[in-house]
Amino acid sequence: MAHLAHYREAHPLPYVITHWINLLSMIVLAFTGFVIHFPFLPGIMGLCRGAHLFFACLVLVNMAFRIFSSPFIKSAPNMGTREKRQDMFVFLPQKDNRHQFGAWIKYYLFLKKDHPLSGKYGVPQKLAYLAVIPLTLFIAFTGFCLWVPTSDWLLMQFFTDLVGGVMAVRIIHYWTMWIMIIFVMLHVYLSIANGLAPLKMIFLWKEHGGLVYDPKTKNIIGEDDLGEEHA
Amino acid sequence: MVSKRSSFCSGSATRAAACRSQVDLVTSQPVNTAKLERMLSDRGISRRRFLEFCGAVAVALGLSEAFAPSIQEALAEGIVGKAEGKLIPVIWLELASCTGCTESFAQVDTPDIATVVLELISLTYSETLSAGAGFSLEEAKEETIANGGHIVVIEGALMEGWDGNALRIANEKGTEIVKHAVSTAKAVICAGSCSVDGGWQAAKPNPGGAIGIQNYLQKAFDAGEISSIPPIINVPTCPANPEHLVAVLIEVLLLDRLPVLDRFNKPAQIFGQFIHENCPRRGHFENGEFVYQFGSEEEALGYCLYPMGCKGPQTKNDCPIVRWNRRVSWCVEAGAPCIGCAVSDPTTNKRNWVDLNSPFLKRFHSINIMNYVFQPATLAVAAAGLVVAALAVHGFGWKISGRFAGGAPIEKERAWDIRHPNKAVSTTMRKVAAKKDRVLNAQLIKEESEEKYFDSVSKAALASQAEGHLARQQANPEKASDTNDNTDQTQGGE
Ligand code: SF4
Ligand code: SF4
Repeated sequence: MAHLAHYREAHPLPYVITHWINLLSMIVLAFTGFVIHFPFLPGIMGLCRGAHLFFACLVLVNMAFRIFSSPFIKSAPNMGTREKRQDMFVFLPQKDNRHQFGAWIKYYLFLKKDHPLSGKYGVPQKLAYLAVIPLTLFIAFTGFCLWVPTSDWLLMQFFTDLVGGVMAVRIIHYWTMWIMIIFVMLHVYLSIANGLAPLKMIFLWKEHGGLVYDPKTKNIIGEDDLGEEHA
Repeated sequence: MVSKRSSFCSGSATRAAACRSQVDLVTSQPVNTAKLERMLSDRGISRRRFLEFCGAVAVALGLSEAFAPSIQEALAEGIVGKAEGKLIPVIWLELASCTGCTESFAQVDTPDIATVVLELISLTYSETLSAGAGFSLEEAKEETIANGGHIVVIEGALMEGWDGNALRIANEKGTEIVKHAVSTAKAVICAGSCSVDGGWQAAKPNPGGAIGIQNYLQKAFDAGEISSIPPIINVPTCPANPEHLVAVLIEVLLLDRLPVLDRFNKPAQIFGQFIHENCPRRGHFENGEFVYQFGSEEEALGYCLYPMGCKGPQTKNDCPIVRWNRRVSWCVEAGAPCIGCAVSDPTTNKRNWVDLNSPFLKRFHSINIMNYVFQPATLAVAAAGLVVAALAVHGFGWKISGRFAGGAPIEKERAWDIRHPNKAVSTTMRKVAAKKDRVLNAQLIKEESEEKYFDSVSKAALASQAEGHLARQQANPEKASDTNDNTDQTQGGE
């Protein structure tokens, strides 16, 4: 077995839920955004505008919760272990990932045959997840530049003037959504690249046996089949 | 609406007082009104039409229609006063333009009240409107400029191309004419989008170097070519709406004050709200009733023009309220989507309203990069498509290499750790590295590498490294052991 074990400790229940909320919101936001951009389903245009605003706020609240709860919720900073720390350490650089960026890129480009050792998230993965935070803030901000009730707030107006008017903001908002979509495509691809176990974990909170990682020595130290083999 | 008036005057307490005194002043002179009405009726304009006009002007100024009599008085005073030579003179400069603004202003076949009022106002120079021509007209203009304190109305864009020779009038460069005319002016009114941001002339590729007036004057000022910039009032739209111009002219000439301006120097009252906010088709927008094609049933039903590229939701103007052609109708009411002719940004020459809004029937403007013109969606879909294609190819390789099922085996040690055993992340690795004897150390690593799974690259690196160690150790045995001691100390500190 070549995988690390997937334990629930890696993804505590609150974060399984925030992930679900993110997924649903993203789908709703992208869909309603397309309808607002061009009303191909005219009947639901009004609904879409309301939903777009609601889910945009939901994503922001969700993200705020995800970030600000991280010092108070514990999670395993590595796959294949049940040892937990404050979750915020997942956002910070981890020793497990040190010097591994090149190895990951090589691995993805088939220049390295074995799977790099890492923290819960590999280096490129972690960078991508971190990038989603400013990206979400930015797309929400451009959205509020377009929403009339907030569009003439000083900061929004400053940005709108800076980029050249409402039309330019609309295009930026639109392109940022596509960057999000591209992120999601990569995210989904890389998540299933090693089989479906990670999906079962994050969506169904189902554990999966595999190699055991020791956060102290930062090495694989054994294997855990969750007792399935003997059952 | 009365409260709006007070907000209009709320710039400062003194300004509010000035507003009041203006009103007091004008309402105390009914004699002039009677005179003006006689002048107008000589030109075939009834008292009722004149009052209607004054009401519209009041609305455009942000006042209630109840202020129509005050406007009427102001006009009367100004126009009758003109006969006594007291009015601020106006020079109307026509630069690179289609004359549409003049045309919109003064339609010869049906002379309307605005035309008459403007004729009566001291328009000392206008290529199109003036009865005189040639030398005498130029002379009148020169005299006005020499006297100073006049208003310059500018229609059309300035052309900087070919050292300013792209636009020459009366054997003089347009740039020089403008600099000269504004040098002693009390204020500049940019009438129509071309004079505000360069307009159609400045749309890509703009070979003649068209530029908006505010932008040009700023440049000229920065270059030290003019010593000051008079207050600028930008009245965009294509063409300029006569109601707007008359309202601004009346405010500037007769009430002798600048309108309240926004950050683009546009009258805030006129260009303060999105068209979409006041559009009569807004109900259809809310109900999701749209026109998708001209000539369709939806169009006949007067549905919302949003899918036809209507720029009403991002254009600030009062078209739905003040309307056009003597308040008969306006773009959307007439069935055409708004093309956003009022979005002109006078602060930069990098973008103008035509580039910002074309193609007019699309929801987005087109992007022009090195003469490749495309829609934002095309670029986005192409980028996403590229990623999908790359992932498909990658996935194919992933599958062939058998990584999908079960994935690749996980490395036993980080490749970097193997190359830098003393600084390794993994403690097991460092223990191996910390062995006193350097030779032994290198050999250990080598042995280790045989046991564990390494790829060929790492193996080669490892082998050469081990050999390097051996060679160095033979050349300088003492130094090598020193390094090892240090490593051990670091290790102890962990
Ligand atoms: S026609 Fe244009 S301005 Fe009017 S409601 Fe529709 S989108 Fe808005
Ligand atoms: S509706 Fe739009 S295009 Fe028509 S005049 Fe008004 S701003 Fe210009």
